[in-house]
Amino acid sequence: MDRDSREWWERVAGGELAVQECAACGTPRFPARAFCPACRTEGWRWRAVEPVAEVESWIVSHRAFGGAGPGTVVRVRLAAARECAMYGRWLAGREPRAGELVRAIFSQGADRTLVDWAPME
Amino acid sequence: MAKRLLVSPLRDRAAIAGVGYTEFSKDSGVSTLTLACRAVLAALEDAGLTAGDVDGLATHRVGDSVAPGVVGPALGIHDPSWHLDQFGGGSVSHAVVAQAVLAVAAGMAETVVCYRAINARSEFRMGQAASAGPEAQYQVPYGLAAPLQHFAMEARLHMLKYGTKEEHFGQIAVRQRAFAVKNPRARMRTPITLDDYRASPWIAEPFRLLDCCLETDGACALVVTTAERTASLRRTPVLISAAAWGGGASFLSGGHMDTTETAAARLAPRLYGMAGLGPADVDVAQLYDCFTYSVLVQLEDYGFCAKGEGGPYVASGEGPPVNTHGGFLSEGYVHGINHIAEAVSQLRGEAGDRQVAGAEVALSTAQPGYVLPATSALILRRG
Ligand SMILES: [Zn+2]
Repeated sequence: MDRDSREWWERVAGGELAVQECAACGTPRFPARAFCPACRTEGWRWRAVEPVAEVESWIVSHRAFGGAGPGTVVRVRLAAARECAMYGRWLAGREPRAGELVRAIFSQGADRTLVDWAPME
Repeated sequence: MAKRLLVSPLRDRAAIAGVGYTEFSKDSGVSTLTLACRAVLAALEDAGLTAGDVDGLATHRVGDSVAPGVVGPALGIHDPSWHLDQFGGGSVSHAVVAQAVLAVAAGMAETVVCYRAINARSEFRMGQAASAGPEAQYQVPYGLAAPLQHFAMEARLHMLKYGTKEEHFGQIAVRQRAFAVKNPRARMRTPITLDDYRASPWIAEPFRLLDCCLETDGACALVVTTAERTASLRRTPVLISAAAWGGGASFLSGGHMDTTETAAARLAPRLYGMAGLGPADVDVAQLYDCFTYSVLVQLEDYGFCAKGEGGPYVASGEGPPVNTHGGFLSEGYVHGINHIAEAVSQLRGEAGDRQVAGAEVALSTAQPGYVLPATSALILRRG
């Protein structure tokens, strides 16, 4: 985690899913950044969002890459801020469906709390 | 889109006068410096020039190869008047040549050799290079690390949004292999069928092994000089009619809402505008094929078909021949430059059994912009 993102990860460790919201124009942004790409100012506030998102795409890895083994990785867009997309592991015994609503699951990773995703039901 | 359609004063100012290759293999057994030197000398030989003529050197790399400041002295090229050591991967492969065009047109150098040398199989496993930069922390811990996974994610999105099918990706792989069969330099020369494609093992769904390029040890080099000078050299001049690089938004920076449109869609009007040409003028296209999907999406973004229609367009077999060397999927992955070299061979009419009859105009493109929100491309024309 880098300096821009440390607080985001700290909030995740505390069980909160948040995005930055520009103090000047209100544009939400993720990943964490100092500058708002819409109005190019530095101020922001953290906004805790409902940990619900919509599945946009996914892959099923058949071998290990990076920090996790084989398995399904989803890309989701937050229901509360569709501009904000995130990746996470898919925690379900079936394939995701395009557009389905999913909920965040906070899981303990190797060195930090991670945000994974599971079906709403 | 229409506002930049002015033919550029840079059009046809520079040309490619020579092309050089090393062997492509799984294990070169030599250093990237040796590969670079061999390719540079081969390109100069092809052009009828010597190292003593070189006053510019250019490459790109991602910590996996040798800089011009190493290659130059190793070949006794001292005090070049211009050089470029561009950081970056496939998205800047064609930007290296684009910048050589500027150097030559501005008189900073007269004879620039652009090269790329990698041991991408035996030393630096390109396919396992993890994402870097501030976005990696949001990807790698979830097991999303390799370029192929990112492109697989984009390919799935295209399938979901537009109904693109696995068979469309398969047809790209099959067609490129058929070209590779006719290319003595290609690493994979056994024909494949769609059934072979379907039987190929999953790597990261929706990608199978046959959707992926071949990590390769090898090097390639191009001699870039002024158009006037090529007229006195021994090869058929290949004019650089357009050279462009540019932007777009990356997935995680700034709310890019539809990643089925790549940076290439923004660059294409500028590129065609510089040449005063359009997609209908392209006789042969070498489209960056790190994975099958990147070909399909570029057919859309470079205007050969409408957005979303890449699958049916591939199935129709319409349009110019694509990746006539077999591409990275079947010739080998030299990170972009071997696409330019193949375009040169085609325009010179020297592509042997895979020659596209009467090829006058070629498009060659870089990675369409995922890792960095940027891409680059060239339009070449027989002089
Ligand atoms: Zn703002």
